[in-house]
Amino acid sequence: MRDCIVSISTPLGKGAVAIVRMSGKDSLPVALKLFHSKHFDEGKIKPRFMYFGTFDLSETAKEECLMVYFKAPFSYTGEDIVEFQVHGGVLLAQKIVEACLNAGAVMAEPGEYSKRAFLNGKITLDKAEAIIGEINAETEGELNSSLQITNGRLAEEILEEQQNIQTMIAEIEVGMDYPDETEELNLKLDIRERLFQTENRIEKILSQSQSATYIKNGINVALVGKTNVGKSSIMNALLGEDRAIVTDIKGTTRDSITESFIYHGIKINLIDTAGIRETKDIVENIGIEKSKQNLNTADLVLFVLDGSENETAEDKEIENLLKGKKFITLINKTDKKRVLEKKKNEIEISATTNKNVEKLKQKILNMVLNEEIDFNNLVLTNERQVQILKDAKSILEEIGQNQNLQIDVLSMLVKKLWLTLGKITGNTENEDIINLIFSKFCLGK
Amino acid sequence: MEKFDSIVIGAGHAGCESALALARTGNKTLLLTISLDAIAFLACNPSIGGTAKGQLVGEIDALGGEMGVNADKTAIQIRMLNSGKGPAVQSLRAQADKNEYHTQMKKTLENEKNLIVRQGEVDSVEIDGENKIITTHLGIKYQAKSVVFATGVYLKSEIIIGSTREKTGPNGFKNSENLSNSLKKLGIKLLRFKTGTPVRLHARSVDFSKMEIQNGDENIQPFSFMTENKIENRAVCYLTYTTPKTHEIIRANLDKAPAISGEIKGVGPRYCPSIETKVVRFADKERHQLFLEPEALETKEMYLQGFSTSMPAEIQKEMVESVIGLEKAEIMRDAYAIEYDCIDPTQLKPTLELKGVDGLFFAGQINGTSGYEEAGAQGLIAGINANLYNKGKDGLVLKRSDGYIGVLIDDIVTKGTNEPYRMMTSRAEYRLLLRQDNADMRLTEIGRKVGLVDDKRYQKFLHKKQIMKEIEEKLETKVKVDKKLEKLFSDNEETLPKESMKLRDVMKRNNIDIYKIDKAYNLFNEEEKKFLEFVNINIKYEGYLKQQQEDIDKMLANENVSIPEDFKYEGLKGIRTEAIEKLSQIGPFNIGQASRISGVSPSDIAVLSVFVKKFKEEKKKK
Repeated sequence: MRDCIVSISTPLGKGAVAIVRMSGKDSLPVALKLFHSKHFDEGKIKPRFMYFGTFDLSETAKEECLMVYFKAPFSYTGEDIVEFQVHGGVLLAQKIVEACLNAGAVMAEPGEYSKRAFLNGKITLDKAEAIIGEINAETEGELNSSLQITNGRLAEEILEEQQNIQTMIAEIEVGMDYPDETEELNLKLDIRERLFQTENRIEKILSQSQSATYIKNGINVALVGKTNVGKSSIMNALLGEDRAIVTDIKGTTRDSITESFIYHGIKINLIDTAGIRETKDIVENIGIEKSKQNLNTADLVLFVLDGSENETAEDKEIENLLKGKKFITLINKTDKKRVLEKKKNEIEISATTNKNVEKLKQKILNMVLNEEIDFNNLVLTNERQVQILKDAKSILEEIGQNQNLQIDVLSMLVKKLWLTLGKITGNTENEDIINLIFSKFCLGK
Repeated sequence: MEKFDSIVIGAGHAGCESALALARTGNKTLLLTISLDAIAFLACNPSIGGTAKGQLVGEIDALGGEMGVNADKTAIQIRMLNSGKGPAVQSLRAQADKNEYHTQMKKTLENEKNLIVRQGEVDSVEIDGENKIITTHLGIKYQAKSVVFATGVYLKSEIIIGSTREKTGPNGFKNSENLSNSLKKLGIKLLRFKTGTPVRLHARSVDFSKMEIQNGDENIQPFSFMTENKIENRAVCYLTYTTPKTHEIIRANLDKAPAISGEIKGVGPRYCPSIETKVVRFADKERHQLFLEPEALETKEMYLQGFSTSMPAEIQKEMVESVIGLEKAEIMRDAYAIEYDCIDPTQLKPTLELKGVDGLFFAGQINGTSGYEEAGAQGLIAGINANLYNKGKDGLVLKRSDGYIGVLIDDIVTKGTNEPYRMMTSRAEYRLLLRQDNADMRLTEIGRKVGLVDDKRYQKFLHKKQIMKEIEEKLETKVKVDKKLEKLFSDNEETLPKESMKLRDVMKRNNIDIYKIDKAYNLFNEEEKKFLEFVNINIKYEGYLKQQQEDIDKMLANENVSIPEDFKYEGLKGIRTEAIEKLSQIGPFNIGQASRISGVSPSDIAVLSVFVKKFKEEKKKK
């Protein structure tokens, strides 16, 4: 196991820049698996020096960001710390965290940075009580969010799911601890089938939570298309009278512009590659590069085509980048005669006559929000809880992929699943399972 | 006054292990028992092992204890339970000859050179500085550095049958009326538990033709690593059922059942309910299964498993006669419930030594557990630790990741118990690693270190390890994609690889195992063939074993942060009052143990670890 904890250290949902922090002796190796910079001097990383480079979100997706390395013991925790400064919005920061987790980091527990700082003697003993206050404040924050959970329907669902699993464990365990009575117990061990249902429900909860994150942080919509196709006029048409928030972020790493509007209570962030509109002399390839970057952070892509002409090579190249992404094809300039062939999943739009603009807005919501959002039910916006559910899902996938598991291994994985969900519900007492065994089954000599 | 290094009180399954462990590590030891005829008495079921308990016996054996050896000597039928459910939950269970089990253990004790075995009832224990003074019922006094209490269910025990209450120990043996009070004087908190045992029947009166026969398994490894011969099946068991009439009789007489009427106040085990409890609690069940087990080869007595009761004798007779095949059954011994004093085990350290008084150890049912194997395991650890105490050395604590013994002791000293505690495989979170087949690999080195694994066993162990290494090396061989491999793969419906591969990787295919590889390549010699299973499990389960190992590593990080004994919990800011109460009551020895106390939350633990660190650093400064 690697010694490296990770979390987003800036407040969720606020600010134009987010910081993802890792601490522990394996922080740098984990970071260097993901972050590359031409400024690294033969692989030597200077501490307390800010590097510009790219971060691998996945095999294909890269993101530009900044990295700082604090070498132990000269850091907040007294351990090696690596921080990434990434462009605002929680979604991107979450993707960075996810990549770090995949590379071997472990999600930080509440108060863990402060705790490590103390244990490593970075904070003097007389500050100990202050630190305890801090740990409590953070765990109280956790507590509040779990209280919030207990009110929601989603929370009930997670609890119910964990209880279903608890019943399954009891049924598996009773057969193992009382093999002579198994026939008598008349167990129906349709565990796999029931786990499959659990998986479906967890996926549903995850997508509901995902919707909840959108409520908090907005939906990121990238506009891509070759120059002069009319991206900015579409942007203006969308912003129209609904224009509520206009932010102009000129990033240090990216020259894109984000503007937002509210639609049905949901913030929609439009990302346009504004920087290249004015520079006509730059080769077309740059447009593709820019589109690529915007794709990484977008929840949905609007792919704009000119309806009055045939598809060009550049259009096709951009279209190729959209594979595996959620996107809507927008046919612009429909006030002119349509030349372009019909595309799948297209919407004809006209920035000048506002044709289909409302329809587009509705479609953006429909495509991103998998579930009806119940505004009284804003739950699991907590990043740690979402991660826990994702962990649960991956255990279920592991079970699904291995159909030949012996019951002893299967039971281990189901137990792990139960413990994982227990991190949200707080029920991890093994005794509860044993109690269930005895209350459900008649056993014993 | 006669002086000893150690005195062991009680010669049941815990006491025997303690006494042998002490004597074998060179301590002049006195083993006192209320009756020499009750040594290693199988007071309830005539069997050793079973789920989780088989693992315990394997671990006792690996540490150099006696239970496995004695069970092998006296087994008359053996079965491997859960054989279809994967190696982690497979457990051995043997029907033991009850008379032989006692006789053989007594013989072993008598032949141990540092051990004095003596009949005598202990009335009191007093602390005299470093020494402990024991006084028997007849006024004899003995002195020792350490004492192991392994009194079983004999403390103020009462046997209950219907409205009859008798102050006796199990099976009519004398009980101990005075020792409880002496323990109270030492400030020890006592609990009152109950358990029970079913009727014994005469075999000639049973109509076996109406029952299902249960045979033993052939070719099963014995309990002990040192037993060379396979166990011969010399007896069978039978399965039968209660009838609606049985339930009718029970319902009609519930007012006479002490367990239901409230006459019995002691807390009974849920996993061992009386038949009346089963009928009441699971009213919709039409029948309950019962097993008939032979008590010994040289007796006709049979044990009716599943029929524990404390009903009046005449109703017991009616109930028995309503069971299929028992219509004409002759009862030889009545079923009874027994109430007894035991201690709250949270008063113990994980070494089984009493907190606050050095040199007093507790093991077995006196600690609120149940079962021969649970008792034996604790007896062995108490004996090992009494020896280490006598020699001024640090005690032995087995971790939850070391074995079921570690789980058992950690559970009772950390969480306590409100019913007689039984070991179950579901209590062991690392059970994929804690298997019966690898108990010797896990624990022999520890047994060697504490002086209980003799040269003979150790050499045999090293030999096995060497052979296993050779097996693993052979599996590193790369094989070409040739006719042989093609056949192996096609016979087992596996898709053929393109390149040559290691046999080890061939083994990881779903449908292929070490035996199929051996058959195809004729790889292993006779000696190696004996140990293939262990290597097979290790390789087939590699990924999952690794997952558990990672969980263990995580746990050990907390386990290795000790909490000093003089650390005070009162007034710690930031820990909830409930948690502070629990922590001060249990007095955990490390952060890991603290985190397992019920009612202590992860954030309590985060804060606690800060305070512990602060405490240690301030101590260092002084």
